[in-house]
Amino acid sequence: MSLGLKLEGIGFAYDVTPILQDINVHVPVGQFISLLGASGSGKSTLLRLVAGLNQPSSGRLAWNGAVVVGPSLERGVVFQDYALFPWLSVVDNIEIAIAKAKPKVRKAERQEEAREYLRKVGLEAAIGKYPGELSGGMRQRGAIARALALGSPLLLMDEPFGALDPVNRARLQDLLLEIWEQATPKKTILFVTHDVDEALYLGDRLVVLGSSPGRVIADLAVPFDRPRQRRSLFGSEALHALREQVAETLAEDTLQRLKAA
Amino acid sequence: MSEPIALATQELSVIPVPFESTGPGRSAKLGWLGRALESVAVWIGLLLAWYLGSIYLPLGDNPLLPSPVLTAHALWESLPELWTGTLSSFSILLPGFTVASVLGIVAGLTVGTSPRLQRIFLPFAKVAGPVPPTVYIPYAIAILPTFKLSAIFVVFIGAFWPIFQNAVSGAHSLEQRYRDNARILGLTRFEYQRRVVLPAALPHIFSGMAVGLAFSFILLTVAELFGANAGLGRFVQYYADFADYPKMVAGILYTGLVTFVSMTLLDRVRRRALFWLK
Repeated sequence: MSLGLKLEGIGFAYDVTPILQDINVHVPVGQFISLLGASGSGKSTLLRLVAGLNQPSSGRLAWNGAVVVGPSLERGVVFQDYALFPWLSVVDNIEIAIAKAKPKVRKAERQEEAREYLRKVGLEAAIGKYPGELSGGMRQRGAIARALALGSPLLLMDEPFGALDPVNRARLQDLLLEIWEQATPKKTILFVTHDVDEALYLGDRLVVLGSSPGRVIADLAVPFDRPRQRRSLFGSEALHALREQVAETLAEDTLQRLKAA
Repeated sequence: MSEPIALATQELSVIPVPFESTGPGRSAKLGWLGRALESVAVWIGLLLAWYLGSIYLPLGDNPLLPSPVLTAHALWESLPELWTGTLSSFSILLPGFTVASVLGIVAGLTVGTSPRLQRIFLPFAKVAGPVPPTVYIPYAIAILPTFKLSAIFVVFIGAFWPIFQNAVSGAHSLEQRYRDNARILGLTRFEYQRRVVLPAALPHIFSGMAVGLAFSFILLTVAELFGANAGLGRFVQYYADFADYPKMVAGILYTGLVTFVSMTLLDRVRRRALFWLK
C-alpha cells in the first residue's frame, strides 16, 4: 500500500505541445514539498493534474492508493488570487466549504466553525466583509481558511502568495508554517512557487522543474530544523549553498534549452 | 541649463490655462446652485419652447399643441382614469415581464453552462431572437382566448430574448477560476448554478432585464392600440381619436413618467443585488 501522493511517469500535452514529461515524484503523507520552476515549466499544470481539474495524458497519479479522476475534498486547493467568491461575505465563503465537508452540521454551527477558521488565520475582524473590500493579503488569508475548512489532508497551493508585497508574503508564509506544524495529523502540502527563497524556507523537500517541456531536474531534501527562524535561516551558510545549487541547476537548464533552440 | 527649463515652463503655462478654465475649474466656481440649474436647463428650455410654441404657432382652431397649463389641467382631470389605465397595463406588463425574467434566466444559465445545449439552442435563438415581437400581435390575438392573454404573451416574447441572450453570455463568460473553485468545493450542479453561475452572471442579466423592460413597455402600448379597453397606450389612442390633444399629451407625459419610474426601480434592484461589485 503506497500512502501519500504518487506521480508515476506523468505526462501532459496541450494539443500536441508537450507541457509535462515523465514526472516521477512520491510525496509521503505529512511532507511539505515545494515545487519550484520558472514560468512555462508547467508547475501550475502539474498542480491542476493533482487537483483533478485536468487529466494527465500519460502516467499514473494516485493519492493514498486511489487514482485521481477528478476534484475531491481530499485535495484542497489555494490559488494565487480570487479564490473567494466576491458575491459571498468572507464568512459565507468559508461556510460553503464547511457545508460540503460536513453536510450534516447545522447552519448555526457551520457559521461558528467558519468564525473559528477565520480567527485561526487572523481574519476575525473581516468576518462580515466582502472579498472586494479586502486587501490581497487578507483575501489570501481567507483562501487559506477555506482550504482548511474543507478538511483536506492534502493541500495544493499554486503560488498563493505570488501577488503579495514582501511584508505580507513573509507574514503569510509564517502563518502557513505555524498552522501546518500545529496540525495533527500533519497535512501533506504541495506548494508551487517560482521564488527559490520561499521554496527553501517552507519545504521539507524541493522539486525543481525544468522548462519546455516541464520535467524534474532536481529533487533534494531541505534539511533545516523546525520551527524555522526566518532571520537565522536566511543568514546561514547552509541555505546559501542550497540556493546556489538550485540557481545553478535552473541556469543549466536554461542554457541547454537555448542550445537546443 | 536653466534657460530651456524656464522656456518650457513658460510655454506649458501658456497653453493649458485657457483649456483648464473652461473645464472643471469653472463649474466648481458655479457652486451647487449653478450646477443644479445646469442639470435642469434642458427641462426649462423645452418647457419654454413648448409654451411659446403653443401660443405663437399658427395652428388655427385645432390645438394640436396644447399649452402646458391646459395639459397640466387635463392631466389632473385624467388622473383617476390614468391610474385605472396603469393598473390595467401593469396587469399585462408584470406577468409577461416576470415570466420572461424567470424563464429567460433559468433557460439562459442552463444553456450557457452546457456546450451541448448551446449547440442545440443557440442557432435557433439567433433566428428567433431578432424577429420584431410586434409581428406576433395579430396572430396572438387570433389564437389566444382573451386580449389580455395575447398581450401578456407578446410582452413575454419581447422581454424573453434579451434576458435569455444576456443570461447565456453571462453564464458563458464565467471566469475559469470560479469554475475551478466550484469544482474544488465539489458543488452539485444545482448549487453551482445558484451560488456561482447566477451571481456571476447577474451584471449581464440585469442589462438584459433593462432592455427587456424597455421592450415590454413598447410592446404593451402597441398591443393596447389593437384591442384593449383600458391601459396607457389605449388612453393615448382613445383621446387622439377624439382629437382631445391636451389629454393625449397628458397621457404621453404620464406614460413617460411611469416608464422612467419602472426603469429606475429596476436599477435600484440591480444596485442592491450587485453591491459586491466594486
